[in-house]
Amino acid sequence: MDILRALEAIVGPSRVSSEKAVCEGYKYNPWLGREWSEHLRPDIVVLAETTEQVSEVVKAANTYKVPITPKGLLGGGGLAGAFRGGILLDLSPMDRIISIDPETLKAVVEPGCSFYRLAQELWNRGLHLPTPFYGPAASVASSAILPATGYGKTRYGPLIDLVEGFEVVLPSGEITRVGAMAYAHTDFGPFYRYVTGPDLVGLFAKSNGALGIVTKVAYQCLKRPKHFAFHAYHWPREGIDAVQKTIVEATNIESFDIHLNDKYRWIIEGPFDFPEGSHFDITVMATAENERELRGKEEVISDIFEGNGGKYLPGLAGHWYHSWPGAFFAGHPRIRPTVPPNIMSETLGRRGYMFIMDKLMFPATWTKEVYNLHLELVHKYGLDQMPFHPVWDSYPMKRQIMCEQYWVFLDDSKPEQVDAYLGCREEVRGWYGQRGGLFQEPVPPLCPDYAWTNQKSEFDLLRTIKQALDPDDILSPGTFEIGGKR
Amino acid sequence: MKGGESDAGKPSGGKRKFYRDFLDTWTICSTQCGACFAHGPIVPHNFVELPPPEWAPPLDKCPSYEYFKFRAYTAVARGDMAADINDDPDYSLSDDVMKVLYTCTGCGMCSEICYKLRPLTANLAIRDELVERGARLPDPLPRIDAHVDELGNIFGARKLARSVEGLPTAGADLYFAGCVARFQRPESLKATTAILQKAGIEVAYLAEDETCCGLIPGHDGNTAILEKKAAQNIDAFAKAGAKRVITSCAHCYKTLKVDYRLIAGELPFEVVHVAELFSQLIDEKKIAFTRPLDEKVTYHDPCFLGRYCHVLEEPRKVLKSIPGVELVEMEPSGKWSHCCGSGMKITSACYPEFTEAVTKKRLEQGKQAADTVVTACTTCYQHMNRAATEAQIDLKVFDLPLVVATAMGIELE
Repeated sequence: MDILRALEAIVGPSRVSSEKAVCEGYKYNPWLGREWSEHLRPDIVVLAETTEQVSEVVKAANTYKVPITPKGLLGGGGLAGAFRGGILLDLSPMDRIISIDPETLKAVVEPGCSFYRLAQELWNRGLHLPTPFYGPAASVASSAILPATGYGKTRYGPLIDLVEGFEVVLPSGEITRVGAMAYAHTDFGPFYRYVTGPDLVGLFAKSNGALGIVTKVAYQCLKRPKHFAFHAYHWPREGIDAVQKTIVEATNIESFDIHLNDKYRWIIEGPFDFPEGSHFDITVMATAENERELRGKEEVISDIFEGNGGKYLPGLAGHWYHSWPGAFFAGHPRIRPTVPPNIMSETLGRRGYMFIMDKLMFPATWTKEVYNLHLELVHKYGLDQMPFHPVWDSYPMKRQIMCEQYWVFLDDSKPEQVDAYLGCREEVRGWYGQRGGLFQEPVPPLCPDYAWTNQKSEFDLLRTIKQALDPDDILSPGTFEIGGKR
Repeated sequence: MKGGESDAGKPSGGKRKFYRDFLDTWTICSTQCGACFAHGPIVPHNFVELPPPEWAPPLDKCPSYEYFKFRAYTAVARGDMAADINDDPDYSLSDDVMKVLYTCTGCGMCSEICYKLRPLTANLAIRDELVERGARLPDPLPRIDAHVDELGNIFGARKLARSVEGLPTAGADLYFAGCVARFQRPESLKATTAILQKAGIEVAYLAEDETCCGLIPGHDGNTAILEKKAAQNIDAFAKAGAKRVITSCAHCYKTLKVDYRLIAGELPFEVVHVAELFSQLIDEKKIAFTRPLDEKVTYHDPCFLGRYCHVLEEPRKVLKSIPGVELVEMEPSGKWSHCCGSGMKITSACYPEFTEAVTKKRLEQGKQAADTVVTACTTCYQHMNRAATEAQIDLKVFDLPLVVATAMGIELE
């Protein structure tokens, strides 16, 4: 029996395909350009519908020594793909919401369930997750095992902080449960992540499925707040010290979400009457159980923001948090992701695409330095001239972590502009890598090497664990590697 | 512009170029947001409220993804594949590639969701390229295209079904029956012309001189045949003195109204669907209902009428105007309606098993709402009616003109 027959015997013939056209459909990645796609095409695609099927498929992969990479709804195990070819295990048919308990605030979900679907189901039951608007097809597993689509709102940090437990199929095919899922079968249910012994949930978080395939996720949900407030303040360019201080102070309080932009965003996304001479804005969203609590929070926000010289900016925050999306976005062969011309022609009236440079993550106290560096380098490379000034979009999380993405606009049909972009990015990376170099990157191996070498001791341990759990490197091979095109 | 594949507001630049522009967009993109197929909302909420109806499509969206289950059968993967083919003149056009590209039903749900990138348009654009490269289209498309080209109908028929007699072949109001009504569902043709006559409209009908609108070749990549049919029809309409072309088939309606305009620019005639015209005639009190129907009915929105051309309210208004009719909505409905399975008549011709599953699902959705489903497209009617009979689903299926004629007391054979 060959591997195809073995897989068909597990999931049924209609759920296995080695047709080129079918495999092609799994090679594209939203966060990587199309030039990457040739490196991500699997040889076989398998659709799994149960944990037991996943287990048997992994065992078969071991028997035949064929690599296997899981995939949620969006991208790879999330977001990547089959770096080494082999089997792409599509978990999107496993999309059941197994339970939502509005009293214990726990939800248990299969990996292929869209995060948006879970969010809406929770919303309908008076609960919610602090999810950002990161795309309709990100699924609960991809959000848990990869960081990029898992960044939540300021007060709650990354979504992995809300994961209580996993059911996982290990590289051997053994089904195991960690964290709250370890005792989910008892009368307590899946109520707490930190069980007796070390936190093994973290072993699978951000793992790209290289240590195990997540087949169930238990989430800690929140009661949906009854009251909301949206406010925005602005500062001039020379007020960057005050902006940084505001971010640091506001991240310490119970604000639901905070966003920092510079004025260039609203030149593109307007129309807003951005006051003359202002350069930065911070939008803030506060939530509360009752109006008294809300007023108290608003008072604290006002004290911090105005105390740091911020001027009130009406209208902006409500629009920012309330508007429904107008489009979904895309990637480019060399640089990512772009908004294509027919979108931009509608909003800008001429050709010009938006590309997001590396999505960095650094201490909030570095905000000023990172921002100034970006401005200096985009000017050096002429990116501030083509055709719009780049946009700073950033958002802090609890623990004083700043996440940012820098939008650059250029005409990608002009190689010199693409080269300028790439040159600027490399210089940013060079500076950044020497200082720490943490990314919100979707797939760990796609970061520059210093993302691993800066944390060498942890990386070494990770590889040791990988070797112990998966000696034949069957699961998501290529994930924990340095150097070369992975 | 928001919604579907309708290009009614676009200036004429040629269908090929217009479609091509969207393919070019996909060539520089690699979008994988998944809104067009993922099971779930495209926006969950904004913390304060759930999304409004225009941002709330059904959980399952793409008929081919629902059936085949592999990502390749989604609009977004087809868009990316189209871009790859476009980039690579030596791309191998194997049978499995052709199957992926031609199992799209063309329902337009993806482009309704992703109205900026319009993945369906990119998928249709690459079909032109495939034909130009000499790819062998899935059977029986080559035969159908030849029938359309040579005999002027999709069935290869040489003789019209027994139909209405005595209608003039020239006049300001010209009824364009379409292949299905002319050859297989003459009751729709008879009902429509009888209604219009009773409403005081001197309706003309080209009969043997009518030629296929060109929908199938226009959507399978043989755009040259569509262009030829457009030229023939536009010329025939002009010779007949038509100022208003009336059709009861949503496929013909979209082709005449949208595609012909992309090909020929501003048309010297108006194109109206019977649902629009009946609605107007009811307002003008030229249609009077004399026979209450006393029936709970639901309405199936044809993709080409609802999503593509935004005719959503008129057929509902017509049904609600009929005494005794209780109109209940099936789910999903309106701009988020599911495909009946006809699939531009392409998937139903090439992939009957797939089509059967899509149709059965739609019929079951109808059955959950009412015992009778009415649609406003002769093709959808033909397709659903036949499928309900074959699958022994206890659901009556009617074309809108049949219901209107009955309520007007018109006796149909």
